[in-house]
Amino acid sequence: MMLLLRRTLQRPVTLLYKQQSFFSLKSPFKKKIVTSITTFLLPKGPLLTYLCDPFMQAPVQHKILGQTFWLSAQRCVFWEKQKALILSDLHLGKTGHFRKAGIAVPQAVYKEDLQRLLDLLHYFKPEQLIVVGDLFHSKANKELQLFERWRSDFEQLKIKLVRGNHDILKKDWYAAINIEVIEGTLTIEGFSFTHDQCDADATTYSFCGHIHPGIVLNGLGKQTLRAPCFYFSPNHCILPAFGKFTGLANIHPAKKDVVFAIADDVLIKL
Amino acid sequence: MLLSSSKGYKVINNWLRKKGYKPFLFQQQTWQHIIDGRSGLVNAPTGTGKTFSVFLGALIQFINAHPDNYLSKQKNGLQLLWITPLRALAKDIGRAMEEVIGELELQWKVGIRNGDTSISDRQKQKRQMPEVLIITPESLHLLLAQKGYPDVVKDLKIIAVDEWHELIGGKRGVQVELAICRIVGLKRAGLTDDSWQMTDDGVKESKTVKEKTAANSQLSAINFCIWGISATIGNLSQAAEVLLASLFQLSDSTPLFKTNKGTEEQKSLKEISPVIVRANLHKRLIIDSILPDEIEKYPWAGHLGIKLAQKILPILEKSKTTLIFINTRGMSEQWYQTLLNIAPELSGVIALHHGSIENELRGWVEDALHEGKLKAVVCTASLDLGVDFRPVETVIQVGSPKGVARFLQRAGRSGHSPDAVSKIYFLPTHSLELIEAAALKSAVEKTIIESREPLALCYDVLTQYLCTLAVSEGFTPAKIFKEVTSTFCFQHLTDKDWNEILRFITVGGTALQQYDEYKKVEVEDGVYKIKSRRVAMRHRMHIGTIVSDAMIKVKFMTGGYIGVIEEYFISRLEPGDTFTLAGRQLELIIIKDMTVLVKKSSAKKSIVPSWLGGRLPLSQSLGKLLREKLNEAGDQVINGVVSNDIELEVLHPLFALQQNLSHIPNANELLIEQIETSDGFHLFVYPFEGRLVHEAMAALLAYRISKTTPITFSIAMNDYGFELLSDQPIPVDDTNVYKLFSPDDLLLDIQRSVNATEMAKRKFRDIAVIGGLIFQGFPGEYKKQRHLQASAGLLFNVFNEYEPNNVLLRQAYQEVFDQQMEEVRLRDMLNRIQASKIILTYPQRLTPFCFPIKVDSMRENLTSEKLADRVKRMQQSLYK
Repeated sequence: MMLLLRRTLQRPVTLLYKQQSFFSLKSPFKKKIVTSITTFLLPKGPLLTYLCDPFMQAPVQHKILGQTFWLSAQRCVFWEKQKALILSDLHLGKTGHFRKAGIAVPQAVYKEDLQRLLDLLHYFKPEQLIVVGDLFHSKANKELQLFERWRSDFEQLKIKLVRGNHDILKKDWYAAINIEVIEGTLTIEGFSFTHDQCDADATTYSFCGHIHPGIVLNGLGKQTLRAPCFYFSPNHCILPAFGKFTGLANIHPAKKDVVFAIADDVLIKL
Repeated sequence: MLLSSSKGYKVINNWLRKKGYKPFLFQQQTWQHIIDGRSGLVNAPTGTGKTFSVFLGALIQFINAHPDNYLSKQKNGLQLLWITPLRALAKDIGRAMEEVIGELELQWKVGIRNGDTSISDRQKQKRQMPEVLIITPESLHLLLAQKGYPDVVKDLKIIAVDEWHELIGGKRGVQVELAICRIVGLKRAGLTDDSWQMTDDGVKESKTVKEKTAANSQLSAINFCIWGISATIGNLSQAAEVLLASLFQLSDSTPLFKTNKGTEEQKSLKEISPVIVRANLHKRLIIDSILPDEIEKYPWAGHLGIKLAQKILPILEKSKTTLIFINTRGMSEQWYQTLLNIAPELSGVIALHHGSIENELRGWVEDALHEGKLKAVVCTASLDLGVDFRPVETVIQVGSPKGVARFLQRAGRSGHSPDAVSKIYFLPTHSLELIEAAALKSAVEKTIIESREPLALCYDVLTQYLCTLAVSEGFTPAKIFKEVTSTFCFQHLTDKDWNEILRFITVGGTALQQYDEYKKVEVEDGVYKIKSRRVAMRHRMHIGTIVSDAMIKVKFMTGGYIGVIEEYFISRLEPGDTFTLAGRQLELIIIKDMTVLVKKSSAKKSIVPSWLGGRLPLSQSLGKLLREKLNEAGDQVINGVVSNDIELEVLHPLFALQQNLSHIPNANELLIEQIETSDGFHLFVYPFEGRLVHEAMAALLAYRISKTTPITFSIAMNDYGFELLSDQPIPVDDTNVYKLFSPDDLLLDIQRSVNATEMAKRKFRDIAVIGGLIFQGFPGEYKKQRHLQASAGLLFNVFNEYEPNNVLLRQAYQEVFDQQMEEVRLRDMLNRIQASKIILTYPQRLTPFCFPIKVDSMRENLTSEKLADRVKRMQQSLYK
């Protein structure tokens, strides 16, 4: 389904000025938080603790079937036992694809995506990278060369790509830069990895991507904020899109589901 | 040349006399100006022959130029370019023109160019331009996107811009300004350049100086002029200046206009300033209010006015055809249903007309209106403009028209036969709205009418325009910059912003050099061009500035197209849900390929779609008049002065209660009511400045109060005032109230108080589409282009984070300040308040003034039925 282009209703707006001192915070990212999150979530409290330095937020531990996983606000999951970094929907080369068609999307998004991946590799020091589909956005373009260069800096790293609907590059290319492409489902230690949750094996716990899950956070005063999120149901996890130039599809979690929203680089368990 | 002695005038006058017509004075004046080669603006209401003022002028000019062979001369090239905002108008105007040409036995052709023109017709026009081309602003830009467009306008004598008042306030007006500056630029170039000649055979040849001078004198004989046609607006002379800005740019050495048979030396500034020709035709107008029987029992809040539906039946009965204007599409659906329910005998003779109904059906309604087959049509702004429907005798306006101009426009849709009287009824949707009827009456009496402010620095339209030029002939920046800055909109365009836009379309902002393949406009020998055919084609598809919300078609399962509906609305429905569209109850079956498939439903209850179209704020002039009417209301209650207005008389009990509980502010007072209810502590303020200003003001006030005391508010507003609600007492009293409404530090405080980012995000959607960042796909090719889809929200986030200085992004923020918050108006209001007396009252109960605002804020959480009950109960408790 195409991303819905929506315009928020014009309606009475409620504003919160509970903590007027926030307006005097000086650091730029603190200001960002103030403008986007506090207005919505502050009355609930816990976020305040992160205000000191949101980028230092440690990964959040999440146990699944006895295994330890670490969720990062940088939109990926680290599997401790397998030393694997699991991510999905990077859509590399998307900005290039748009730009080639004459739509001037800032390329800095792409650069930042790669930089973030690099930082995560330094932080978690994984042995393998499991990409649950949509590593590249579309046909080959020059932006891929930057990725190739990036790849050559991490030759030791194993990359396993579960092919997603966007991965339409030639087989040779994947082989040339040492990416193992898996069709359908990859299974490791009873966990399966499938791009689209609809195609997942229901008997195992599966990690999926594809839909770019987002959640609507309702704040006081009828205001809403949409944020990307991790979605955990009893038998599968849907990962947020790693690439920042990606849209969101709203999910509607059931009671027993666990959702972590990512709001301005901070994880919030809902 | 004197008009009466010219050949053309004689020919036209003879023809008119034969038909038994006599030209109006304003028409003759316009003709004289046209043959003198002057430009200007005709100010005339619809249905008074404004078309003929310019069109016949063009014919007179042509006959004068070819006195001997005007009957036989054909293939003259484009003579008159007629720009009209409405596609629907084109056909009727074209027909009227053809009739005249036929009767005069001229060899002129009339062509129509808009989205509906077939490709074969376009090709035909390309080979041989008709003498008259009727065109929309969008199609005009498409024309500029065609190779060889300079040839099209080489013989052009007159550009006429019809309904300029409709265009001036929006981005389509900017489009017109840009197109005119290009054509004027070409004309000027034709006067001085060798490269572009005005020879009839079109053969390019190098000229000696002597020949050039000869050509120049020949050229100055061509009376090229621009005429706007506009209904009355508050800033008529500004409207003329905006339209003619590029023509009257005095710095240029080769003025195009010719003065009254005088030499260059005699040309004084006065002579070359734009002329405004006023029709001064007064049509009689009767305004009547539909009054509820008992004002005490009529709802104090509401939007629909259905309770008075019974009262309009006798009005429908009396008149041949009635137009019922409703402010929104959703409400028009509800009114249509209600009328059918209370008067089943009307079925078949009433119809529904709004912008989301399928074209063919709308066409049918319009035709039936012409033929007088319909008794009544429930409609929205969709019938504001357009040709006259002669059978329409009466108009009913339901709810506030929000502005005087719109009210008059609508009133003018009735009574078209000669000497007929326009008759309009005002139906209030809640009691207090009746004052608006009184205010509108005095507006008509005093001929107070709103201005339409022209837009400035629309970078998105400029970006699109530059690409348009790059698609066809290519452009050189120096020349085009000069032209663009000659327009009103871009007169203050800086070199810096201009260069940034050029950079944006050539290299695409910031990029990773060697890894970038950005491709749009390429520079070749200093000429900016789009060379890729695909990019060019895509650009042509997207020319235009009307951005509608993502719409989905609604079709019957069995086939048959019903209309369009907003994606936003339909995405909230489940299969099996019933909704109303085009007056039909429809059950949703499935959404497939951007189409909603439905079947007829007999369900009793259905959801009425809400289209997100803008809720217009009350205009500044109407707000001022309302405050003055309150003066009278106060007089009536306090001093017993009986008002002339029946509306105020009827409202007397309401005002008496208001005065009893609180106060009736006069025109130089600002009323603030502080009331404590079970909901908490309310602060109501009544500036009467329209909801947008109130929204910004409420946020501003909330912020300023919270600077001194930590406090949380919820905010609600309507066109009359706004409310702050808190769970603790709100510290506003006579010690700090003037300071809270101070205009000092306004900008800074606004930035801190309003979530401008959220608002800018909403504005950015239109800008991104116009500026070419959002690609909506080729028709019928929806799926293939999916890899190029990105929502405006996503693009906004990306730009906001990675390229915050982008011109289009800056424009979004600017539009928030200028349009969303109406910063100028907000500042005016604060200055006014500083000079006026602020009255603080502490009523024991809710007052009639605050009631509608209070109800508005409850609306969100309640269904409309429950709301009605609750309003009734609250109202009863108030009268105790």
